[in-house]
Amino acid sequence: MIRESDDVIVKTLARLLVPFIVAYALYVVMHGHYSPGGGFQGGVILAAAFVLLGVSHGLEKTRRRMSEKVAGIISSIGVFIYGGIGLLCLILGGNYLHYGKLSKILGVDTAHARSLGILGVEIGVALAVMAVMCTIFFVLFTVGESPEDDGSVE
Amino acid sequence: MTQFFLIIGVGMCVLVLLCLYRATYGPTILNRAAGISAIGTKTLIILLLMGVIYDRIDMFIDISMVYALLNFLGTVVLAKYLERSGEV
Repeated sequence: MIRESDDVIVKTLARLLVPFIVAYALYVVMHGHYSPGGGFQGGVILAAAFVLLGVSHGLEKTRRRMSEKVAGIISSIGVFIYGGIGLLCLILGGNYLHYGKLSKILGVDTAHARSLGILGVEIGVALAVMAVMCTIFFVLFTVGESPEDDGSVE
Repeated sequence: MTQFFLIIGVGMCVLVLLCLYRATYGPTILNRAAGISAIGTKTLIILLLMGVIYDRIDMFIDISMVYALLNFLGTVVLAKYLERSGEV
């Protein structure tokens, strides 16, 4: 279990950096089709914010914002968004992830429907990657410690 | 102007080799951590210089910001791991 850090520099820097990291991750996800980045990269940067929070402020405070159960639910929601958009295109008469067909239900022309479809898929991928990265971080940093042991086993 | 940035980039590559020596043969683990962190910072500068040379600075700034962020995070996590395992 990671304790809360005693160092005031690390704690202050983490508190100042985490909002900017999250804003930058959202920028990377939203501009994935214009600039380098996309769903996976944005999700990794989002998870980096939680890793920084966990390393600087301890795992207890991080679990209050993102517990393992919530991470599992969010990763399932992300995969569901990805697969749901793909299946929606299939139902509307196109191929799997054929975003142009979404124009029938979104009420915009085909080019806008393609852009919005890619954005939706990237948001799904970002949510799934963020939750899975947080789960990997929790598992790696609590290895050998189960909640029932109360930390008696090193 | 491009040649100026190219020369600075080549100089940065030489400095990366010096830091790589420290990261490889560093006597203690703190020397290695500092060397790796310095290599990350220099890589970031080289990326930005490449962006200026290729005239695509708007693309390379995104990559370099992510690189700076993950470099900082890696150093903090490494320090936390060393503190936890009691090596320092």
